Amino acid sequence: MSLKRAALLILLGGAVLPAIAQQIELPVGPGSNRANDNNRPKVDETALRYFASQGDTRRLEAEIARLRALYPDWSPPGDLFGPQSDVELERMWKMYAEGKYSDVRSAIAARQAADSSWEPPADLIARLNEAETRQRLINASDAEQWATVLRLATDTPGVLTCTNVDILWRVAEAFAKTNQVPRALDAYTYVLTNCTDANERLATMQKAIPLLTDDQIANLMKLERQDAEGKPEFDVLRDDLIRRRMGVAAENPEYSVPDADIKRLETLAKQNDAPGDPLLLGWYLFRHDEAQRALEWFKLALDRKGGPKSAEGYVLALNFLGRALEAEPIAFEWRDAAPENNKAYLDVVISLLTADPPPVLDEIVLARFSPVVMRDKYVPGAQALGWYAYNTGQIVTSQSWFETALNWDPNDEPSAYGLSLTFWRLGDGARLSAIVQSWGARSERIVALVDPVVRARLEARNAQTAINRYTDPLVAAAARLTPTPTLRPPPVGVPTIGAGRTYVPGAGVAYPTTPSATTAMSYAGQGFQPIPQQFQGVPAQGAAVGTTQFQPIPQAGTAYQPSAQFTPVAAVAADQTYATQAAPTPPRRRNLAQSTARSGNASESAGGAASAAVARGWKLMELNRPMEAISSFDYAIQYGSGRVAEDAAYGKSLAYIRKGMTNQAQAAALEAPQNPRRSLQLTGDLLAQRALEFYRDGRYVEAIIALDERARLGPEQQDLMMLRAWSYYHIHDYQSANRIFKALSQQGNKEAMNGMSAVDSVTRKTRDSY
Amino acid sequence: MAATIPIDAWNAYMKAFVDESGRVVDTANGGISHSEGQGYGMLLAFLAGDRSNFERIWSFTRTELLIRDDGLAAWRWDPNSKPHVTDVNAASDGDLLIAYALARAGRSWGFQPYIDSAQKIARAIGRKLVVRDGGRLILLPGATGFSSKDRPDGPILNLSYWIFETFPVMKQLAPETDWDGVSQSGIELLRIAQLGPARLPPDWISAPANAPVTVADGFPPVFGYNSLRISLYLLRAGIADAELQESFRRSWLAENGGTPAVVDIPSGRVVTRLTEPGYRMLGAVLACALAATPIPDDLRRFELTLYYPSTLFLLSWALVAEKYPRCL
Repeated sequence: MSLKRAALLILLGGAVLPAIAQQIELPVGPGSNRANDNNRPKVDETALRYFASQGDTRRLEAEIARLRALYPDWSPPGDLFGPQSDVELERMWKMYAEGKYSDVRSAIAARQAADSSWEPPADLIARLNEAETRQRLINASDAEQWATVLRLATDTPGVLTCTNVDILWRVAEAFAKTNQVPRALDAYTYVLTNCTDANERLATMQKAIPLLTDDQIANLMKLERQDAEGKPEFDVLRDDLIRRRMGVAAENPEYSVPDADIKRLETLAKQNDAPGDPLLLGWYLFRHDEAQRALEWFKLALDRKGGPKSAEGYVLALNFLGRALEAEPIAFEWRDAAPENNKAYLDVVISLLTADPPPVLDEIVLARFSPVVMRDKYVPGAQALGWYAYNTGQIVTSQSWFETALNWDPNDEPSAYGLSLTFWRLGDGARLSAIVQSWGARSERIVALVDPVVRARLEARNAQTAINRYTDPLVAAAARLTPTPTLRPPPVGVPTIGAGRTYVPGAGVAYPTTPSATTAMSYAGQGFQPIPQQFQGVPAQGAAVGTTQFQPIPQAGTAYQPSAQFTPVAAVAADQTYATQAAPTPPRRRNLAQSTARSGNASESAGGAASAAVARGWKLMELNRPMEAISSFDYAIQYGSGRVAEDAAYGKSLAYIRKGMTNQAQAAALEAPQNPRRSLQLTGDLLAQRALEFYRDGRYVEAIIALDERARLGPEQQDLMMLRAWSYYHIHDYQSANRIFKALSQQGNKEAMNGMSAVDSVTRKTRDSY
Repeated sequence: MAATIPIDAWNAYMKAFVDESGRVVDTANGGISHSEGQGYGMLLAFLAGDRSNFERIWSFTRTELLIRDDGLAAWRWDPNSKPHVTDVNAASDGDLLIAYALARAGRSWGFQPYIDSAQKIARAIGRKLVVRDGGRLILLPGATGFSSKDRPDGPILNLSYWIFETFPVMKQLAPETDWDGVSQSGIELLRIAQLGPARLPPDWISAPANAPVTVADGFPPVFGYNSLRISLYLLRAGIADAELQESFRRSWLAENGGTPAVVDIPSGRVVTRLTEPGYRMLGAVLACALAATPIPDDLRRFELTLYYPSTLFLLSWALVAEKYPRCL
């Protein structure tokens, strides 16, 4: 037994069973005073003689070396190559040498049965034990029976040698798997300190790396030697270690690696043309908030045929960077490569569908998404389609997606909420109450659609929780539609579009990206557009600018009545209380002349007639004869198609709005599919009109809901802010009301000042009563 | 102790079912090996007085199967898989047989290492596989997957794993476990597990603490190759209880002319008649024990068939030779 082996035994014994450590016989090494004459052990030379008789010089030499190490004073006998006296024993050694351990066992037992005085040579038994223990230890290790591995190593420490480095590795692994990593480290240290085979040393490091921490690995690296050419033997591992560190940190973003590691890997990534390193860089950077840099590496990995993971990373990075539209085709292409790719695809489309405001999506995006959603019965997908349809004014479509989602998952509250909103929007009171009935116990915000008390409570709670950041696009989409967040009184000058969210401009609408601490006026200057507005009619005949006739007259304690009809037409503006504050508004509506021109070129007679009917409808609208305009638009809806029908439906809706017939306007809007942007505008108008109607009917909570709904589509202008403030006033939320009044009065709005004094008188009255 | 298995028969068995490494090969099951087969091999080697091959089979058993952390043997070894142990779970009959054979051999041959090994296994069985379930002391078939914690219809039991002759030996090796209680609960379960029109014990039963014993879900509802052995095990253990043997007697001797059969429990109908000598020997031994009927001539010489009936034949032979020489 060598000193080195003894060193490991001590650590093994100490780790496994301290008592055993004491039982392990310490080595008799060179220089040990135990190897003196009066204590000379009997040297077993049977193996030696067997190997000699076989002419197996390799084993013979090994055996001589072994015996010399054990017994320093021993020298090989001179008659090694003489005839063997014990033929049976020779046969046993032969079978041992051939690895037939069961045969040796069997032969020993047979001989002992025949001759009870015969004892097998201790050396043969020891070697047999070791050989069987090695096999048993390997079996136990393969079966992950770690305690057995450690027990065997402790019982038969002779197996722990550099010649059986595999056994040492397995013992180390057993330590690591039984929460004794320091002991595992000891075992690897033992190998690297004592064993010399270059391949095995390298393999030892490779075995150790997955089981140890970076610090422990660094300690092992200190045991590195140099090869014959003076090259450090573990050089090839250094880059692997960088990859390992980055891999770990890519999975756990709380870890990061030194810049030098990133630089080195970037160099490696450029040197070779494999996708692995770029891919690793991509994931590391992506998870460490460097999506832009990550994107380039993902791209390179994808170009190098890096497969599904590259595509996934590329898609996620694009999506993260707000480039979901670019990501979608790639995501679609790879969607079936792996579950993660399918997920990435669904996420990308969901983020497109739930973008705020909804982008104009190519038909193909929706056309290929729907089947995937249907195939997977993917509830969040159906829900997202529901929100998209809802946000683009396609309420009926929206309804069917929410219903589909609910069919798949009857407990999906967001879908139920979406469905409730569609009922609410379509004025379908019966079905709305039915859904409130079944969801009442589970969803406050659904109840809040019909119950002012619940609504007030949600509102109060929301005011406390302040800013919510939604990372899940679906939650965010639902939250945008949740009345409560937007019920927070708008901060001065900032349109009520949802607490703490940035407003991403819709295509072609020049909203500022981020409503900073600007005033409402500066918004107005940038295109902040009040909802009630004029048409950019064909000949812009006397089209007045930003107008409103909605004028609250505060009458403390009594119902407030708008003084004039709320109509989108400027001509009858009798009292432009706010007009002076509102900046001239740039045209937001699509140029109708262009629109009709496009559709009017139809050569087909029916189509031509339909186009003419649309033009006639607009003309009648200009003349403020909306009811007549409606029949013209009707004709165009019936006989026109595509753009013509769409324009006609739009015109018809506006005509109804002009007449204050909101429900009819809503219905008309659905008569032909509207493009998303126009749907948005139309929806806004409808909601503003509806808010006014609710207000007039004394249904203030519903008025606020409608205003919230509208505010989601675009910033709120002063007239609607006044409507909102008065609504708050009537539900006795004086604080919210006053905040708005105050903000508006600071901009010189006299009606707002009236509002403030109305609030003041009511609250003083309240205070006085104490 | 004089050998109770003729050396020629044992040598033929060795040649057919035990390879050089000491592996007992189940020739009817794709040549796999299992702890039960190793235990049978060791017991038969002992009964044949073959120390040399006992050591051979034990060497394989120890090296290849006795690797579990809890000291029990892994039950399944497949020559065509790497690693060879394809299910590291234990099987209690295998562990009982191995420990029992070691203890008897160690005592008989005066070899203490066998007794030491037997004791370790016996203690592990007592610790891991003998559990109290409700008011009943049971022998779980394996270390995992059968208890009332593992299955809602648990415990799932196999009454042929109660090798009654081993319990007194286990009691000496591992007195901390109530082996008498294990034996008694086995007898009691045999009395209540006489199910179906044939009133035979199914191979696998569900035996919840406070509910009737039923055929276990997910197992064939048969009195089959497992339960066949129960009659022999009772006789080998010297449990002379005519009532316990009655259903075997009726099925094998009264209704099937001495030939055991696989019987469908729900219908009581015979599924397969088992005509190999090893199975017929079970009927012959029962007839011998109950009515001193001589062993038929054609069963007086060992005829190699498959591993399992051959094993049952030699175990039966050893019993007759030892306890019922009048039947020969």
